[in-house]
Amino acid sequence: MIDLSILLQIVWTGLSASSYAVLFAVAFSLVLKVVKVWNFAQAGLMALSFYAMYALHALLGLPLLASVGLGVLITIAASVFMDRFGLQTLRNRLSPNLTFFIFTLVVSEFLAYLLAMIFGTEPVALTQSIMSGVNIINGIVISNWDIQALCITAVLLALLYLFIAKTRDGQFMAAVADNPELARFYGISVKRAYLVTFVISAILVTTGMYLFGTRASVIPNTPLQMMLFAVIATLLGDMGHIFGAALAAIALSLIQGLSIFVIPSQWQGLILYVFLFVTILFFPQGVNFKKFKQLTRTPKTA
Amino acid sequence: MEYLVSLAVLIGIYVILSSSFNLIIGFGGLISIAHPIFFALGAYTTGLLAIHCGIHPLLAVLAGGTVAFFASMMLSLPSLRISGDYLLITSIGFQLGLLEVIKHLSFTGGASGLGNIPNVVDGSSRSTVFAVVSCVVASAVVLIIRWLLTGPYGRVISAMRDDELAFSALGRNAMMIKLALFAIGSGFAGIAGGIYAYYYQYISPDQFEILQSAMLLTMVVVGGMGSHLGPVVGAVLLLLLPQAISFMNLPPSVMAPLQGVIFTTLVIIFLFWRPQGLIAPAQRQAQRKP
Amino acid sequence: MTALISLTNVCKSFGGIVVADHISIDIHGGEILGLIGPNGAGKTSLFNLISGLYPTDSGTISVSGKSLDGLPMYQRARLGVARTWQHMRLFESMSVLENMLVSPRDYPGEKISQIIFGAKQIKAIDQALHERALTILQRMNLTSIAQANVSDITFGQQKLVGLARALMNDGDCLLLDEPMAGVEGNAYDTMKGIVREEAAAGRAICVVEHNVSFIKDLCNSAVFMARGSILERGSVDTLLASKTLADLYFGV
Repeated sequence: MIDLSILLQIVWTGLSASSYAVLFAVAFSLVLKVVKVWNFAQAGLMALSFYAMYALHALLGLPLLASVGLGVLITIAASVFMDRFGLQTLRNRLSPNLTFFIFTLVVSEFLAYLLAMIFGTEPVALTQSIMSGVNIINGIVISNWDIQALCITAVLLALLYLFIAKTRDGQFMAAVADNPELARFYGISVKRAYLVTFVISAILVTTGMYLFGTRASVIPNTPLQMMLFAVIATLLGDMGHIFGAALAAIALSLIQGLSIFVIPSQWQGLILYVFLFVTILFFPQGVNFKKFKQLTRTPKTA
Repeated sequence: MEYLVSLAVLIGIYVILSSSFNLIIGFGGLISIAHPIFFALGAYTTGLLAIHCGIHPLLAVLAGGTVAFFASMMLSLPSLRISGDYLLITSIGFQLGLLEVIKHLSFTGGASGLGNIPNVVDGSSRSTVFAVVSCVVASAVVLIIRWLLTGPYGRVISAMRDDELAFSALGRNAMMIKLALFAIGSGFAGIAGGIYAYYYQYISPDQFEILQSAMLLTMVVVGGMGSHLGPVVGAVLLLLLPQAISFMNLPPSVMAPLQGVIFTTLVIIFLFWRPQGLIAPAQRQAQRKP
Repeated sequence: MTALISLTNVCKSFGGIVVADHISIDIHGGEILGLIGPNGAGKTSLFNLISGLYPTDSGTISVSGKSLDGLPMYQRARLGVARTWQHMRLFESMSVLENMLVSPRDYPGEKISQIIFGAKQIKAIDQALHERALTILQRMNLTSIAQANVSDITFGQQKLVGLARALMNDGDCLLLDEPMAGVEGNAYDTMKGIVREEAAAGRAICVVEHNVSFIKDLCNSAVFMARGSILERGSVDTLLASKTLADLYFGV
């Protein structure tokens, strides 16, 4: 018999851990939807944002909030630079998918190695102590970190939703996601939409790394592993449907946590990969598949 | 001198790897970075056979290649049936997932690796023998690939790359061709793995991680995708590079990532400055359709 | 005589758009059927359904009595369904001859096992294919460009090569998607001649065309489509004389 309180504890922990996973998945999904690129460079940007904040806060002693703020700016700058000078050049050349993939992947690896050179490969966390205050409610341990994580994530997602639905830039993003040629025809600046997308993605990613980095320690390779999670969530969430990806991230996180009941802990790391394969094999064709074809076959001109 | 000879062994192995990777990604247009896992499968198969069965090394290496050949279908069949673009994601998952499995199985030695692979060449000229074998096999692989791609099969592959839809509408089975290319390329990687296992007598999962993928990608992109000599040049260049920087006498914790930084910077430079690589393909490439 | 190409109640829609609404057509050997109608009528979609680009929602398509249901594109081609494309889709890194050499229905050169074990066989087959390809090019007066890269020849020549490629299939059915668009002069006459010859040889040919003189010249009968349905069918003269159809075609 499974103890209910253990079950609830695992559900709660899975839920709060899903917070940063959701942010990463949504960021990846957003870029895929609007810019139509599988942004593997996100892993590198995640690492960059973390180490930027780490350098500012832990090494230079700046207050945490300021470090996060500056970290966001640095990540935005890097993302935009990559889009303007990297992706745009490839778009102008009508480069094949392969080139985009190689580029984004290599950017991540470049950043991972560069950061390893500068900061070494010892695990470090954003804050000295990653234990936050805990409250015990109904027998379940709820840490302050959990509450903060869930609140921040919820607020960011709500803001994102409002942005897309209510602001001009947001609606332009949606138009470009739907049909870039048509959007351009109506005078919408596709380049600006891409810019906005990368800015939002940078914000989500940096926040996610702040959350992760205040709870666990990080080495330069960590984001690459986390990326797979974001990718699977995006695939499950109907490819580019950003809130679908968010839900998928939560579900995956919960499944990962709950799997402890079914499989020995040493095999838990494998769950993600099994999930990936199952997703690919049984991924519903039809509408979803066509959207995928649409997303990747659409020319990357801007 | 000994040092140069063991470098020759490594060069031979990596020429096999880069040429076979080029077959898959450069000629076949299949976006997969899982090549190192087939290298690993070959190495582990050969290593385990050598330790437990004591069969002739030639058979063990061929077995490694065969296992890699068929294992590749576990990856390519499901992914390609849905879409070629899926292969990219699944290849990453496949590689990392299988490595995860290897790390947790006891008979593979787990995360600490498989050691005590028996020595099959005694004597002082051991390295020389391996160097000769490695380079001969490498030359054979390059020539086999070249032979395969000239003539009717090469024609078929070019057509498939140019316009897969028209290709299929004319009666050609694109899926089977892709599966075949993937399997052959992976099989060769498995053979390289077998040689690797016998030479170093110790293999571990972390030798086959994403860093390997990055190295192979660099060799192929910098050397020249879609040409025959390109990956050879890429392999030689990139293996000589660490030797070049080792003269800088940097601490090892900086050396490894520095190698990575140099590899990746090279790829980025070439992607933008000279996308066809050092040795451009002889054949005219079809114009990109907007 | 059984129809070589037979569509029975074929339906297909994409989201809300109906591209095929209970389409039933029979094309017999020796027949050249014209598919005419305004843009977006579903003419090319019909070709796509026959050649297998996407599956039908319902209804059957059979070729020489065999149902094409569930068959992938390449298998349909091997049953003798050959088509040309509106945008030609030639293999641009290859020469005219090479484009044709990869186009026959069965090509052992695509199987690795054959390459390795049947090298002599492949050589012989390749020889035969070479000759067949040159014969076709001869009929079109194009032997001079056999070795030229397809990107280096004229537009009219490219269209002829597209047709030549389809002819390598040597099957019962030929689907030609706007073969005459942009073609004039010698190329036009050559193409007309070739299509006539193929029909005379007993193939079932279906042509999507906007070029009225081509249709009048060549087609035995025609089918007028609009918005996914067949509005009228019959002899070319009757259809072209109909005012209602003319309105639909040229009108608002």
